[in-house]
Amino acid sequence: MSDDLLPPDFHDLASHLAWALPTEHARRAKRAASSMVEIQTFYDAMLARMEAVLAFLAQHGVEQVAPAIQRLFLLATALAEIAPAVEMYGEPTAEGLDVLRLTPVNIYPERV
Amino acid sequence: MNARVNEHTAPLWQERFPHLAGGPIDVEPYVSPAYFEREREAIFRKVWLNVGRVEQIPQRGDFFVKRLDIVRTEVIIVRGDDGAVHAFHNMCSHRGNPVVWDSKGKCNAFTCKYHSWTYRLDGALHHVPDEKKFVGLQKERHGLTPVAVDVWEGFIYINIDPQPTQSLHDYLGEAGRSFAGYPFAEVASACSSWQVEVKANWKVCRDAFQEVYHIFSLHGRSTGRMFSSKSNPYLNVHEIALFDPHSRISVPANLDWQAHPVEALAKRFGILTLQKQGISSHGMPSGVNPTGAADWSFSGFGCFPNISIFVSQGGFLTHTFWPLAADRTLWEARIYFPQAKNLAERFSQEYSRSTFLDGVMAEDGGIFEKTQSMLGSGAKKELILGDEELLIRHHLAMVERYLNA
Repeated sequence: MSDDLLPPDFHDLASHLAWALPTEHARRAKRAASSMVEIQTFYDAMLARMEAVLAFLAQHGVEQVAPAIQRLFLLATALAEIAPAVEMYGEPTAEGLDVLRLTPVNIYPERV
Repeated sequence: MNARVNEHTAPLWQERFPHLAGGPIDVEPYVSPAYFEREREAIFRKVWLNVGRVEQIPQRGDFFVKRLDIVRTEVIIVRGDDGAVHAFHNMCSHRGNPVVWDSKGKCNAFTCKYHSWTYRLDGALHHVPDEKKFVGLQKERHGLTPVAVDVWEGFIYINIDPQPTQSLHDYLGEAGRSFAGYPFAEVASACSSWQVEVKANWKVCRDAFQEVYHIFSLHGRSTGRMFSSKSNPYLNVHEIALFDPHSRISVPANLDWQAHPVEALAKRFGILTLQKQGISSHGMPSGVNPTGAADWSFSGFGCFPNISIFVSQGGFLTHTFWPLAADRTLWEARIYFPQAKNLAERFSQEYSRSTFLDGVMAEDGGIFEKTQSMLGSGAKKELILGDEELLIRHHLAMVERYLNA
């Protein structure tokens, strides 16, 4: 069952799917609520597979993305979301304004 | 090739702009409600204000609504039947209700929910239900109240003054011309946009984007070393240029920066918003890298009074500060991206978005409220500015000029 959640070559990342969150706010909230051990574990697991992940994603366009590919993309996006905690701060959040106070606004038209 | 600016050879900007040399600045303009009211009347009710971009309304009938507390109104910006951008106060001629309640959308006509009075996209009053009961109504005289609007390089500006004293073109002047021709449309295919209300004066916020002296310190753990280098540790800028009331600043990069692991992956699939090694300003307009520096990262167009537009190769971003009160501001930040060709490029853009959130929104944003809380203490009446902070002094002088005009 869970085999279908990610593309076939990336089933090894299935244990990290809790990070495959669809919104910036949800990913940022998870980052803020996680320990550095949890963040580092996800970072290490993803970084080890990113060459293959990006080679795969580079073959897929941004329109009409299949659910399994979308989950893999969201895992990569979550890596981007938590990378500053590991690579810059050594703690889950930056010092300063709490980014969870920000309201993301989609200013462009939403077409159906 | 130009020599890199460093702390030993950098010119003093105040020698080039001696009228802006001088002592401390007053705290008063940052805390005074009376000063704030003067700014509202003398500046925000008089000058051209950027409210967005044409990509927000690409098709006929596309509209968005801009709440402008500083001038106590709401403005509808719409793409008309004629393909041009129109702007109106969002107020029904009948009883004053806003005719549009959504923040954006697409329509053929604006219909007020209160009594279904209907206006065409050009603002003309089209339909009044039970019109015969409005004896003597001259519909042609009761369209939506227009707001002056014009477009520069895809940026939509409005002017709340019923009869602006200057065209937008003349207002932006040489500063605008020096950035005209930058491929704004090409790199505005996608946009990440945020807004947040902060408890700080709008100038406290804007000041953080008028100098890069703070980068080595405030951004020391994040992006600081991507810009400041061994030879230029305090990030003395390549150029400061003044085009009253606007300004321009050109900022170096640290070419020796070694990318973090995830940053290095992201860089392979796109040009990152904040990290600017190995880019080129070739073919771009003169304002983009005005000194032709090899170690150039980005340039800023400080457009008076409340938007800064930062351009580089591969993307641009804006910070707009909408005053709400002497100590409250609505901060709008937008970073723009070209159309991603695939999901790996999208990942690269998401990395840019993420580092922007931490390195700019969190770190710069953290300063605003902390600073304002102490400015309000009354402990100090004056603040000190260095030569590299000359644009703050310039902006304060331009504010004063409008207040005393």
